[in-house]
Amino acid sequence: MNFEYLCRPLEHRMSRRQWLGGVAGAAVGALGLGGLAQPAVAQELKKKHRQVLFIWLDGGISQLESWDPKPNTQFGGPFRAIPTSVPGIHISELLPKTARQMHHLALVRSLCTKDNSHSAGVARIQRGDPKNRGVTYPYFGSAVAKLLGPGDSGLPPYVWVKPGSGGFVYQDAGFLGPRYGAVAFGDGKPPENLLLNPALTEADDEARNALRMKLDRRYAERRRKEWTEANSYVFDMAAQLRKQARLFDPSTLPPRDVERYGTHEFGRHMLLARRLLEAGVTFVKVNSYGWDTHGDNFNGHLSMVPKVDQAFAAMIEDLKDRGMLDNVLVIMMSEFGRTPRINGHVGRDHWPEAWSLVMAGCGLKRGVVVGKTNERGTHVTTEEHDIGHMFHTWFQALGINPKEHSYDNGGQPLPIAHEDCHAVTELLA
Amino acid sequence: MALLARAAVPLALLALAVASRADQPLHARIDALIAAKADGRPTAAPAADAEFLRRAYLDLAGRIPSVQEARDFLADPAPDKRAKVIDRLLDSPDYPRRMQELFHVMLMERLGDHPEWTRYLQKSFEANKPWDQMAREILNPITEDESLQGAAFFYTKRLENFGQNPVDYPGLTRDVGRLFLGKDLRCAECHDHIFIAEYKQEDFQGLFAIYRNTVLVDPKKPAVGEQLMTKKLEYSSVFRKVPKSTGPRIPGGKEIEIPVLKKGEEYVKPPDRKTRFPGIPRFSPLAELAKQLPTASNPAFSRNIVNRLWFILMGRGLVHPLDLHHAENPPSHPELLDLLAKEFVEHRFDIKWLLRELALSQTYQRSSVLPEGVKELPPESFLVANEKRLSAEQLLASMLEATGMRERVLGNKGTAEAARAKFVKAFANPEREPEEEFNPSLKAALFVLNDDLVLSWLTPQPGNLIDRLSKLEDSQVAEELYLSVLTRRPTVEEQAEVADYLHKNASRRAVALGHLAWALLASTEFCVNH
Repeated sequence: MNFEYLCRPLEHRMSRRQWLGGVAGAAVGALGLGGLAQPAVAQELKKKHRQVLFIWLDGGISQLESWDPKPNTQFGGPFRAIPTSVPGIHISELLPKTARQMHHLALVRSLCTKDNSHSAGVARIQRGDPKNRGVTYPYFGSAVAKLLGPGDSGLPPYVWVKPGSGGFVYQDAGFLGPRYGAVAFGDGKPPENLLLNPALTEADDEARNALRMKLDRRYAERRRKEWTEANSYVFDMAAQLRKQARLFDPSTLPPRDVERYGTHEFGRHMLLARRLLEAGVTFVKVNSYGWDTHGDNFNGHLSMVPKVDQAFAAMIEDLKDRGMLDNVLVIMMSEFGRTPRINGHVGRDHWPEAWSLVMAGCGLKRGVVVGKTNERGTHVTTEEHDIGHMFHTWFQALGINPKEHSYDNGGQPLPIAHEDCHAVTELLA
Repeated sequence: MALLARAAVPLALLALAVASRADQPLHARIDALIAAKADGRPTAAPAADAEFLRRAYLDLAGRIPSVQEARDFLADPAPDKRAKVIDRLLDSPDYPRRMQELFHVMLMERLGDHPEWTRYLQKSFEANKPWDQMAREILNPITEDESLQGAAFFYTKRLENFGQNPVDYPGLTRDVGRLFLGKDLRCAECHDHIFIAEYKQEDFQGLFAIYRNTVLVDPKKPAVGEQLMTKKLEYSSVFRKVPKSTGPRIPGGKEIEIPVLKKGEEYVKPPDRKTRFPGIPRFSPLAELAKQLPTASNPAFSRNIVNRLWFILMGRGLVHPLDLHHAENPPSHPELLDLLAKEFVEHRFDIKWLLRELALSQTYQRSSVLPEGVKELPPESFLVANEKRLSAEQLLASMLEATGMRERVLGNKGTAEAARAKFVKAFANPEREPEEEFNPSLKAALFVLNDDLVLSWLTPQPGNLIDRLSKLEDSQVAEELYLSVLTRRPTVEEQAEVADYLHKNASRRAVALGHLAWALLASTEFCVNH
């Protein structure tokens, strides 16, 4: 029996009252870095602010049309494999630009996960499939927001660039609490009410806020300070975020970058993501939808993969040029791969048994491939890797040891990654 | 009362001497028990009239007082004016509305809303229904009685499917434990709670047996039904895989025997496949639960509600967190919790009576300003008033009162609904998050900063705050502004600040007035109940 990570609300047996009294400013603490069991992580890492770019190809990109091509085999499909900048590594011909960046990348071809439905799979994968302990685990973005903190940028730590509507997606945060949820920029647009109301000038806004702050100072003089601090913090964050409003102004984009990333949606969103990373956001997620190619898989990938290729390769190039690849962990993946077997609609279905993802940057080896599938691409022939292994690897790459650090869910210690999994050391630099 | 308040220190000592005598009113006994645990620590001064008034309005009427109500109260020389205003508020139409909003947020935790549920709560508080009766109606909703139909919403909202997820029966079980008994049995779903000896897996499973058996009857209106229960629920601990079983049972109670009924006699009303009517079984575990749970003989039931009512007025539970009543998380003032529970039962679960007693206490009427030279007094000492979070509903009602826009916005159903929706979106917690702690968010700040709605209330419209202010001399503005928004008179410094700002912006006075009023609305002083 291993009780270590079961419900163990320490505050139930210790004095919960005292415990909470100590963080009377819970709001303040949690808005900042907050109650890690070992609060030092963020401090340790502060010197080199680490960041994550997480690209999510929703619906499931086909590994056979991207990172693990099997040309001229039973299920290989019509596309060829091409050589890359790393001798011996071949990827799909749909990714020519990325092929030239291969020496910066790390491929994993040995993913073997469990869920083959989207609704369960998306959440399961992004939460790292922890053991069920009756709590909802955070998505990777919320986890990183909690563990690494917001840095000095004054920007929210977890920003999500996605097609469609935006808003505050607190659900991602699970038990960490709503403040670790995502601030979503729907279609790359800023959150509601971010921009100054047109009835006000900058000078007006400054003047009214100066009046507000005077009132707050007086109010806090002889009261517990935490409430005023917590309230001021969100106003400060709003002001900081608004200072970055130029990020949302397309006229400030260099035309050459627009062309390199592509004028399509994914290209625009990736370029915004680069600017958010440059501005210091800890975790940027970019979503691309429409990868669930049960029908017409090959034409679908023929039209979509080159867009990903263009923007992804441009991103890697830019991060490298700016010296950011040492600090930014880049991950591009889906909830599962696609069946090798081609169905009656010339499509590929869901396949969690053997699939691939691509990574680059912070803490990782460059120009490597880990894992192998059999000749027909149906199963993994090397060690199988579940999403838990990836979470361990990513946390390690970011300098967080999942064996040493755990979450503190109101006294209940919870592991940050599945305790039956481990990091894939062949990937770590 | 005012006399007591003015002479708080010597009288507190006196009260200590006569500690909590049974012939005293409850509010005096509360003060004696709080004073008895002061341990020589300093006590905050009594709240000034203005501070008291704002607090009492927010707590009992769910809004700040109008500028006229504030002026009248401050000018009233009567020594018993505080007690009078408490009684007036408890009898006002604001009180049932405030209670309806408060209990809605507490019981539904922003899961959803239903007009029948709102009506049920509103009518119940208008009639000052005893809490045991309300709990019975909510825990065993009688679908046939139309006036009580809304009570079923507590169950039906929780019995809905959420997306592709199965019905969250464990969640419903947990919520009943938390909200009606003050016990979060979550950890006991899969095993006896490891560190809370008294939270047993059989407690969770006995309650779960009752809820696993419930069904939605009609997707359109709140109505809950039960399936035929013929056998016990089987379960086992994740540690010791020993099979166990239990019939319906309330935590700490006796297992209820499942009767063996003859075929054909199981139903009062048999099911009908055609109309999808699930039938009404003769044996109703919900009815058994309603007989046993909300009763004077179940101490957890009364201790939970008095602790929650205490929290609502005092900003912190005697047992805190509110849903962790157990031996190793004792109340800060054990005798006081016993006393409140006992008196509440003796007064037939009368919520209004208890709120009145709490509000009359010196403990309630203390200032939230720390005593001179004191940096910190623990919130559970109740020696200084604890600040309290304002709900989205309280903020809306208060901003409307402050800006003089109440009639204009609430007078029209469409604008009222739209404003409410915006405020809930901006200020409420996400669903299933109890709204107990102060929780400012970026979303709320952006709303206050830039949303058209509040800013539009700060433009001159006939009779509203800015309109009134624009007709006053510069030197008179501060008093009207501060009294309207913050329910207090401005300090000399603040008066000078206002006059100075108006002087600098003389060419655009209405705009400047808007900025001044906005700063007050956005301040921490406005957005908490202190």
